[in-house]
Amino acid sequence: MHLFRDVLDSQIVDRDGRQSGKVDGLLAQLRPDGRPVVVALESGFPELVRRISVRVGDWTAALGRRWGIRRGEVYLIPVSRVRDVGIDIDVDLDASETPLFAWEHWLREKVVRRIPWSGW
Amino acid sequence: MKPRNLIRIALGVLTAIGGFLDVGAVATAAEAGSRFRFRLLWVVALGTLCVIFLVEMVGRLASISQHAYADAVRERFGFQFYAWSLIAEFTVDFLVLGAEIGGVALALQLVTGIGFQWWAIPVAIAVWLTAWLGTFSAIENSVALLGLITLVFVFSTISLHPQWRELARGFIPTVPSHDTAHYLFVAVSIMGAILSPYLLYFYSSGAIEDQWSEADLGINRIVASVGMGFGSVVQMGVLATAALVLAPRGIRIEQYSQIALTLSEPFGRWGYYLFAASLGIACFGACMEQALETSYVAAQAFGWNWGESKRPAEAARFSIVYTISIFSSALLMVVGIDPLKLTMFSMALTALMLPIVVVPLLVLMNDRRYVGEHTNNWFSNGIVGAVLALTCVIAIVAIPLEYFGG
Repeated sequence: MHLFRDVLDSQIVDRDGRQSGKVDGLLAQLRPDGRPVVVALESGFPELVRRISVRVGDWTAALGRRWGIRRGEVYLIPVSRVRDVGIDIDVDLDASETPLFAWEHWLREKVVRRIPWSGW
Repeated sequence: MKPRNLIRIALGVLTAIGGFLDVGAVATAAEAGSRFRFRLLWVVALGTLCVIFLVEMVGRLASISQHAYADAVRERFGFQFYAWSLIAEFTVDFLVLGAEIGGVALALQLVTGIGFQWWAIPVAIAVWLTAWLGTFSAIENSVALLGLITLVFVFSTISLHPQWRELARGFIPTVPSHDTAHYLFVAVSIMGAILSPYLLYFYSSGAIEDQWSEADLGINRIVASVGMGFGSVVQMGVLATAALVLAPRGIRIEQYSQIALTLSEPFGRWGYYLFAASLGIACFGACMEQALETSYVAAQAFGWNWGESKRPAEAARFSIVYTISIFSSALLMVVGIDPLKLTMFSMALTALMLPIVVVPLLVLMNDRRYVGEHTNNWFSNGIVGAVLALTCVIAIVAIPLEYFGG
């Protein structure tokens, strides 16, 4: 498996088949023997922007901490929760209970539900 | 073939025909016909041939991988590549949606005499309400089937008794000795109008919405080729009618109301209203496609849950994106930007971004993880390569031509 080709930027799908964000980054740790090992998948806008510009990514995180619904937090999914790596990354999580759905929930409750016929 | 599949094919082909025309196709074809008679018909034919291949491929990709094109591009090429495409797409979507809203508003202006600026917000509300309340198949079938009214341009061409030999000569590429820069500018704009990136994103997302699978590859092939093929005949009808009515009178198009004259000759007073109805319905359908496509691209870029068949509360981010895009684009018309100029500018800008949209197809359609055994053969790869080369040339000349010939 090629981490950058097969995992980074892939669709995260939770245990109920919900599209729950993309893999925006990978968190690796150095083992005592000096070899890196991936310990978590990262999902969050600041991490995504950091891949284009670290400085702009830091600004995005700072803005997020001040005004964002997720407080600029990048959500980490431990590798132990990954069930399958195909075109999508299947994870053993209920994503709607995690920050991955924070914006979705906020927009639904604060904006969409206040507009008529949002639930038909 | 099962009757159910025949109905799906018929519906798919009819919606492709009804949905082919939009504000860009009307404006560029009418401009081409009025200025250069039938001489730019070959560009419409070439653009259609290209779009048939591209659309069939993204339909195949979506049917097998269950991933829409935008989704697959980010996953396979990474965000660093996709970010540029995303920024360009959002910019073009914003402008083109403004032009499409302007098209509907202008149709209402033609009928009521009230300025198009006043219609922009009511049109935006109607588009938004349709997206908010409708499901994908209801929107696809109703709006695009209503779009079959645009076939009036084909009937008008026939009723004007063109010299078919001269018309047929339009399919042979030629470059005139006068007005060359403008001729090439219009050619590039026609290509921009036909080869819209939004069509690739929308079509592949539609395949997911319609739950196409490997079993639907045949339907995909027929809808892409027959539907798009016949759809282009409608655009050729606009071009030919403009060539037969406007060119002999030396009318240069500076406003959409002048294009309305095209149908007045074959159909009298009713022609004026038929033009308004055709423009209004075609642009309304295009507004829906454009607004939904912006949401599709955003949702697929960031991995959100999406789907027009979901209730807005079930896909809040998806619904909010099209809401914002519809009303922000409508503001372009409220402030009085000329819809015709905006259309021609947007089409040239679309042409500029074509290569970065086409290049991923070469990789994705040969990646077995996405398309399994249905990878491109050498012929299809050759076609994508040729289209890519063509789009690169178009992108390079688009801005200079905008300056010298636009």
